[in-house]
Amino acid sequence: MKIALNSIMVDDQSKALAFYTGVLGFVKQHDVPVGEYRWITVVSPEAPEGAALSLEPNANPAGKTFQEALFAQKIPATAFEVADVDAEFRRLKARGVVFTREPMQAGPVKIAVFADTCGNLIQIYQPPR
Amino acid sequence: MKHRVGQPDSFARLCLARERLRASERVPLALVAREARLSTGELIRRFTALFGETPHQYRVRERLDRAKRLLAGGERSVTDICMDVGFSSVGSFSAWFARRAGLAPSAYRLRAKVRACMPASSAESLVAGCLSLLAGALAHPNYRGRNFEEASSGVLQAQSRATHPAEIA
Repeated sequence: MKIALNSIMVDDQSKALAFYTGVLGFVKQHDVPVGEYRWITVVSPEAPEGAALSLEPNANPAGKTFQEALFAQKIPATAFEVADVDAEFRRLKARGVVFTREPMQAGPVKIAVFADTCGNLIQIYQPPR
Repeated sequence: MKHRVGQPDSFARLCLARERLRASERVPLALVAREARLSTGELIRRFTALFGETPHQYRVRERLDRAKRLLAGGERSVTDICMDVGFSSVGSFSAWFARRAGLAPSAYRLRAKVRACMPASSAESLVAGCLSLLAGALAHPNYRGRNFEEASSGVLQAQSRATHPAEIA
């Protein structure tokens, strides 16, 4: 048993694929139509054999309520590791990404939080060197 | 993100604006902007940066998602659903729905019903969550096993694109 896949709920799969690849820079791994939706996964070009992230349609009203409440409370839905939070902050900010938390030291890690334009807040963290 | 207690900050006001846009189909955008203490232009700009679509696009998508959900539910009449999502005539609702969903409301409902009766399907997979799509994806002829070299070199992307020309735009 291993953890190879994680998922994030998105309000629109096309919009999500555009943001996760075009803005964040992840690489599309799968994009297969399944009924009304698509099975979409992305991986990081820095770790293509690492865990994949599935961009799940947020079609369940219960999930939607949860996602919106989390967002409004400024709670990140998930977190991605980066080598340099400040550099990522500058790169993403320049691309129009909205940050709800600018880079700050939180104990041993440095973090920042941004909106993924699909209904989620994402935390990026830089582990101590 | 400093704000006084009891005074929602601009992020909270944008979240409220989103709720407002969804809850009431007819409330004018200018009013939503005023409630968020922003000009209409500023609301559109900031809303789009945060949520990835304009207030209008958000409203249309929410309305369409709701219509789809109600149609797939199969319990209410098309006329009833049409009124529910804010249309006054079935004709204009049907045309609007067909333009965006690619098929008429009745055809959409029928397709959802057929899917629900398929052996590998269930009520859960109709809602499509909790990785239920994975089973469907694995069964699809276009599904390719994980090939990381291809994924990282972009070959996979090119192949997928060839099968989904619509998404390039």
